[in-house]
Amino acid sequence: MIFKLAWKNISSRPLSTGLSIVLLSSSIMVIVLATLTINQMKLKFNDNANKIDLVIGAKGSRLQLILCNVFHIDYPTGNIFLEDVEFLTKHPFVKNAVPISLGDAYQQHRIIGTNKNFISEIYNATLEKGELFNESSEVVIGSNVAKKLNLGNSFIGSHGVGESLHEHEDFKYLVVGVLKPTGDIIDELIITPLESIWNVHHDDYKKGSFDLKTAEEHDLHQLEDDKEEHSIHKKEITALLVNYNSPRAKFSIPGIINKKNSLMSADPAIEIKQLIDLIQPAVNILYFLALFIFGLSFFSIIITLVNSMKDRKYEIVMMRVGGASVKTIFISVILEGFYIGFLGSIIGLVLGHSLMEIMASFINFKYHYKFSGLVFDQFEIVLILITILIGMIAAIFPAIVAYKFDIAKVLKNKI
Amino acid sequence: MDCFFGLKQKKLIQTNNISINYGSLILKFPEIKLNSGDQLLILGNSGSGKTSLLNILGGLISPNTGTVLLNDINLMSLSKNKVDNFRGKNIGFIFQTPHFIKSLTVNENLKLSQYLISEINQSRINILLEKVGLLNLKDSNIQNLSEGEKQRISIIRALINQPSILLADEPTSALDDESCNNVIDILTNLSNEYSATLIIVTHDKRLKEKFSNQIDLNDF
Repeated sequence: MIFKLAWKNISSRPLSTGLSIVLLSSSIMVIVLATLTINQMKLKFNDNANKIDLVIGAKGSRLQLILCNVFHIDYPTGNIFLEDVEFLTKHPFVKNAVPISLGDAYQQHRIIGTNKNFISEIYNATLEKGELFNESSEVVIGSNVAKKLNLGNSFIGSHGVGESLHEHEDFKYLVVGVLKPTGDIIDELIITPLESIWNVHHDDYKKGSFDLKTAEEHDLHQLEDDKEEHSIHKKEITALLVNYNSPRAKFSIPGIINKKNSLMSADPAIEIKQLIDLIQPAVNILYFLALFIFGLSFFSIIITLVNSMKDRKYEIVMMRVGGASVKTIFISVILEGFYIGFLGSIIGLVLGHSLMEIMASFINFKYHYKFSGLVFDQFEIVLILITILIGMIAAIFPAIVAYKFDIAKVLKNKI
Repeated sequence: MDCFFGLKQKKLIQTNNISINYGSLILKFPEIKLNSGDQLLILGNSGSGKTSLLNILGGLISPNTGTVLLNDINLMSLSKNKVDNFRGKNIGFIFQTPHFIKSLTVNENLKLSQYLISEINQSRINILLEKVGLLNLKDSNIQNLSEGEKQRISIIRALINQPSILLADEPTSALDDESCNNVIDILTNLSNEYSATLIIVTHDKRLKEKFSNQIDLNDF
């Protein structure tokens, strides 16, 4: 009965209670959104980063090297000669050294020139149907690419990633295999032998192809490249992905690589940690904002309830006359705070997750990274409990106002 | 209940020499002695202290002098919490303007009154609503009722926990003649039926001929 009373008392004042709940739920929403984003980002990045111990590529930004070759988001830093890094494949500390060459894409899915180890060793992916590629121009596609292409289909790659700037109309790829879903970035990729990339870019294979912004620029580069005859017979790759088989490799291999003028190595785990450290202040600002709104809603609850007590002065006094103890009055007001906290946290969680789901579909479309609003975290239970507690604490002062009403004085004013 | 009504020689209500001070104004009240089931009308103009007297009898305020014995229990000797509890169990109040929990229906208001003191007994609520002819308004919002209807509901609320004393402060002053008669009939009949001692304080002259037992504070 006392629960019902408290519930009816707040639900019969939708406007003022609503304001408190809106404030409370918006702060919860921001907290949920920020936490879900950063957590899922860490999870996705770490998942993918943990598959590769070291990336070796052309000099430039380490983070760019990782984003491009591990996460397939950014543009390449340039190309390196395969022969410069080939020694690593036989290095005793190295488990796998898989060369990759980037350059083309098909409908936002990148075409990766590499070898079979990329599929079997790095991503542990297995075939759903078909077979692995055996020769140039054959491709194996990730499970999400299979939504657009099927076994036996042939397609033309476009130069660069994203918009078709320049189509290689004379070179057709053939889908010979489809991979099972892994949850990793490989689901979004088209994998082909290195030779495909070399063949399609027969005379311009030697430069970092992603850095082309327009077709004209592309042609310009081609002209420049023609002059660089000396390097034409050296095979180029975008990066070498390395997995160690000894913990000692971590201390020796990056040193060997970084001594070479044209090469740079980057550890995905370190770069991702730095990236997250870079994002963290922005997330902290969001938390701060959320905390500020949370504080506002705390005062809003106090004001709402105190006003409500003043409006309900006679009701409360009547309850006292009818034998309600001050304890009962106190508890019933605290319960109102409980309901406001409960509603605020639940609505905030629903909003946060819905917004996350909307954002996730956008991120998924743009970057092929699957975020989800349907993932729940333990911290959310704690968040609900804290919010309810805050609601109840905010109700303490109004509850004191309520039980301090002097029955005789209130009755004397207006009876 | 046996100990309440079995000992006939004991008075249910007995006041002795009570007075209250408002600044320099000292209000003295006549002695009141009532048995179980008695009815008493206390008349007085505004300022005569009739509401103060009723509040003292109901334990809402304490007098400056004198004692109030309700069934031999001295209200002034009880703690605040115990007075609240004693009042809830033994005294029903009716005021000039009835106040209810606005967010609740008629039925929920009555259930709340039961809940605060004892256990919810829906059949008792229904019987009482039937007696005052308002059973059809059971699930209406309390704010939609007329003043006369609200006053009848407040009588039910006062009686819902079977108190031995009913205290009514100007129960008819805000009502027209028809509602006034109706409310007084219900009040006297129900307090008779449930053997509750009834005290009404009022300045409403319409009630004068309805009660044989009267005290006029203006004469005191």
